[in-house]
Amino acid sequence: MAHPTRIEPSILHKLAKHLPENGSARWTNVRQKSMQQLNSTQFPHKKIEEWRFTDLRPISRTEFTHINDAGTYKASDIEKYFIPESDRSRLVFINGRYNETYSSIGGLGKGVTVGNLSRFPDDENVLEYLNNLVNYDDVFTLFNGLMFEDGAYIHLKEGAKAEAPIQVLNLYTGSEKPFIANPRMLVVAEEDSDVTIIEDHIGLEENSYMTIPVSEVKVKQRAHIHHVRIQRDNENAFHISRPIAYVEKNSEYHSYTITLGAKLTRNEPRVVQEDEEVDFTLDGLVLIDGEQVADTHSVMDHRFSHANSHQLHKVVVNGKAHSIFNGKIFVRRDAQKIDSFQENRNLLLSYDGLVNAKPQLEIFADDVLCSHGATVGQLDPEEVFYLQSRGMTEEKAKEVLTYAFALETIENVKVDSVHKLLIDEVYRYTKANSNPKVTA
Amino acid sequence: MLEIKNLHVEVEGEGTEILKGVNLTINKGEIHAIMGPNGSGKSTLAKIVAGHPEYEVTKGDIIYNGESILELDPDERSHAGLFLAFQYPVEVPGVTNNTLLRESYNTIAASRGREELDPLEFDDYIREKLELVDMKADFLERSVNTGFSGGEKKRNEIFQMAVLEPALALLDETDSGLDIDALRIVADGINKLHHEENSVVLITHYQRLLNYIIPDHVHVMIGGKVVKSGGKELALELEEKGYDWLESLATVNGEAK
Amino acid sequence: MSETKALESMIGEEYKYGFTTDVEYEDFPSGINEDIVRLISEKKNEPEWMTEFRLKAYRAWTEMEEPSWFNATYEKPKFDKLQYYSAPKNKPKLNSLDEVDPKIRETYEKLGIPLEEQKMLAGVAVDAVFDSVSIFTTFKEKLAEAGVIFCSISEAIQDHPELVKKYMGSVVPARDNFYAALNSAVFSDGSFCYVPKDTICPMELSTYFRINNMNSGQFERTLIIAEENSHVSYLEGCTAPMYDENQLHAAVVELIAMDNAEIKYSTIQNWYSGNEDGKGGIFNFVTKRGACRGDNSKISWTQLETGSAVTLKYPSVILQGDNSVGEFYSVAVTNKRQQADTGTKMIHLGKNTKSTIISKGISAGKSDNSYRGEVKISKKADNARNYSQCDSMLIGQTCGAHTFPYIESANPTGKVEHEATTSRVGEDQIFYLQQRGLSEDDAISLIVNGFCKEVLKELPMEFAVEANKLLGIKLEGSVG
Repeated sequence: MAHPTRIEPSILHKLAKHLPENGSARWTNVRQKSMQQLNSTQFPHKKIEEWRFTDLRPISRTEFTHINDAGTYKASDIEKYFIPESDRSRLVFINGRYNETYSSIGGLGKGVTVGNLSRFPDDENVLEYLNNLVNYDDVFTLFNGLMFEDGAYIHLKEGAKAEAPIQVLNLYTGSEKPFIANPRMLVVAEEDSDVTIIEDHIGLEENSYMTIPVSEVKVKQRAHIHHVRIQRDNENAFHISRPIAYVEKNSEYHSYTITLGAKLTRNEPRVVQEDEEVDFTLDGLVLIDGEQVADTHSVMDHRFSHANSHQLHKVVVNGKAHSIFNGKIFVRRDAQKIDSFQENRNLLLSYDGLVNAKPQLEIFADDVLCSHGATVGQLDPEEVFYLQSRGMTEEKAKEVLTYAFALETIENVKVDSVHKLLIDEVYRYTKANSNPKVTA
Repeated sequence: MLEIKNLHVEVEGEGTEILKGVNLTINKGEIHAIMGPNGSGKSTLAKIVAGHPEYEVTKGDIIYNGESILELDPDERSHAGLFLAFQYPVEVPGVTNNTLLRESYNTIAASRGREELDPLEFDDYIREKLELVDMKADFLERSVNTGFSGGEKKRNEIFQMAVLEPALALLDETDSGLDIDALRIVADGINKLHHEENSVVLITHYQRLLNYIIPDHVHVMIGGKVVKSGGKELALELEEKGYDWLESLATVNGEAK
Repeated sequence: MSETKALESMIGEEYKYGFTTDVEYEDFPSGINEDIVRLISEKKNEPEWMTEFRLKAYRAWTEMEEPSWFNATYEKPKFDKLQYYSAPKNKPKLNSLDEVDPKIRETYEKLGIPLEEQKMLAGVAVDAVFDSVSIFTTFKEKLAEAGVIFCSISEAIQDHPELVKKYMGSVVPARDNFYAALNSAVFSDGSFCYVPKDTICPMELSTYFRINNMNSGQFERTLIIAEENSHVSYLEGCTAPMYDENQLHAAVVELIAMDNAEIKYSTIQNWYSGNEDGKGGIFNFVTKRGACRGDNSKISWTQLETGSAVTLKYPSVILQGDNSVGEFYSVAVTNKRQQADTGTKMIHLGKNTKSTIISKGISAGKSDNSYRGEVKISKKADNARNYSQCDSMLIGQTCGAHTFPYIESANPTGKVEHEATTSRVGEDQIFYLQQRGLSEDDAISLIVNGFCKEVLKELPMEFAVEANKLLGIKLEGSVG
């Protein structure tokens, strides 16, 4: 563009004037940098290719407040979301603020540091990585950089293996006015370390709020990370998440994102290869109905030779829900011997639902094997018929098939209670959404 | 016809020696069998004779009809009458068997100063050959090896051999993956194609192919060398005793394998 | 790597059609404004409604912005410097071939398109477009016997105004996009074809486009209408001289198929692509769209895109009629510094509509090759089906292959399947074919040809030979 575009101040730009009281003194560099960038960054709209299918007006129209109080809740509201495996490895954040009462961080063994970021202002890793792995061209990330009060910090020393999965539980309370929460997470896994992280987002009541979780993950040589992200925000919530992982030589990063809640979700997972011989997964499952909008824009950025990457993104849409998927596979010049596979399967159950899919390959190296497949459709009528001929009602047959369709993406979640919880969620969704009226 | 002299071969750029001094002489009209356990270097030997770019000859020579062929490209060796039936025949999507063979046949014909065949003549010619390996005509219109079963791929190799009429055919584990009927068809085909003007080298892990094709000479390769040569009775002995009793020969004659 | 070189030399063969023809041109002012638009219309002696059509389009265009969403960068054309009408100085309307400027006739001879009917391939009628005007249309009488109208669009405006008025702009409205609007304002000529009810067009129709003048843009307009139960196959070929300056080609093609009608439209695009450093070459910004208006109608696009410096082109089908079928078969080869962003749109509106997309992209040199396609299943398109297959092949380390499919489905009974792969010519494949006696060059030719086969077989026989020559590939199994 020849002439600079004028920046229309959005709700985020307006709120950015009110720095948080808590923690505002910390991370001065992070805040300054975010502020500068924010002032020259446009709030997205549909004319931008990346936002072509996603209407952000519901966000712009909401009068969010900058006041972010702790809210009220009962202990039992919170405790029911604890996973037993993480009994002594749990961090709890309420509206983006650390809650010491419900957190429990004693049980991870040698070499594993888990805690809230505010306790580690001078930690060398925090200084080195915090806010340095994120993208600077995104209003939401910048807003988080400016406003976050605290966050989760997970560090594994060389060779350290976390003995239990770490649960990072993000809860959002009821409130009179819509508010914005800015959860933050930094994970640094040193050489040969191994950790499983269960990141959970849950709305406790039915009020409107927006959460902008930003997480930065650094996977050093030969380290392994298993990252499960569950989004169970309420149906009036906005969930805009920005998880990014940098993977070093011989490391593995496997991420599974399950999107169940929120009125509007925009998830932008990104994996960046930093050296050769890496293996990563970026799977997703989206189950939506009503008027939910769920948008996943992912990037798998292959910058060096010898990577195996895999993405399975499954979506079930019912009611008036709208799913958007854009999965980018980049293979940069000189990144040879890349084996990358992306699969996007969409099940559209209703006439009012809408599916947009845009798998995308951008390849600049010749010795690669990259492929993607995308399908949109209904359940296979042959399969429905087969089950009916075995005595099932049509409704039951569809329920069973939808359930089976969704289940594939969570098979690799290796924490038992979480796996079971997700199976229950899938079951609950399919039970509520098997709709026999739609036939071929 | 073919003389392999003290051949040492490495994987190009890796420095791992796979063949460690192979000597072998094959005369016109003979059938040789090269046997040996997995990893003994017998498939490498076949590929290197055909000129596979992945390998590098570090010492020794391959003499074919009196001249060294080490400097020749794979297609030039093919023109000279060398044929390799691949252990794993390669898929070439979109290119029909018919097309490939007509291109091959005419290229080889041209290089030997023979007359090329037009599509109609070629069609007549090729149909006779189909019978040799008991294949249907629609096979010609399928893409080379694409979506073929293991057995079809192997039969296709022998079919190609029939069409191209090589002077020396190296058949690399052509018997593996074949059921008993297919094995008999393939073996019959090879027997029919063999005559006193051409030579066949069978590379195989098992003795069973040799029930159908009787070799004049049998060689055993272990650890990148020919450790024993003999007549057809050697194959039977191997069938009975396995390769273990020969392993010591591989080490006695020089460095450990 | 030698295989790379071999293929580069194969598809980077010197451009053979880069000569210029020295003819005298009519004077025409450069630049664009309402007066120029009026002048074009006046030169062509057009009726008032046509002038209005142009002016409206021009006004719309002045309010539009040049698009930039595609995957290509180039210096924008200088619209005020272009010449919007370029016609050889000669009698505009010719009654016989003898009246064609001999130099122009010679040009077509050189291009392998003789205009004498007896010299031509039987069964192909040609409309030859030189810069902005249609020079000659062959086999007109024979076609007229069958009831088929095949002539230049200028003639159609004079002789069949009711048809042109009814259909022009009905598939690609004047304000559809920036370049379509510009074309609607200044189009100079092009081809027109009308196939009446229950008629199978007795021969292939073809237009051969030649840009000769250095400063002129070429804005041709094609309109094909197939009435109920009719069938027509149409071919289009393009070449241009080598100039250091970029030339703009902004065509609009509209196809209309009624009940049970079928239109097959094939293109071999070989405009000059510019030199090694990306200097010169054609900007090929065309809007091609077909409407399957009738039930059981079918529109099929086949394209072999090898030329142009920059190509932005998305031949599309709007599937309105129930059970209608849309097809898109494409091979796009880019080399040197070419940029191609091409693909299709299949818009499913009717019930039981079906579309197939097969796209093969081959990138070499320092080029960028993008597939961009959209498949849309609307709420009412019950049981609509789409299948897309987009494969890319890269040769060497300095080119790029991109795949941008857009899928949208709003109907639970619809089914969309999309697959894409990126790969290279395998070393094991080359060795295998060399072992069977083929040279490295021939081995690569054969593999590339196999890669494109699904598309090449869709080309009409008369074009297949040229297509394969163009790819530098010996085609197997071509009997005639």
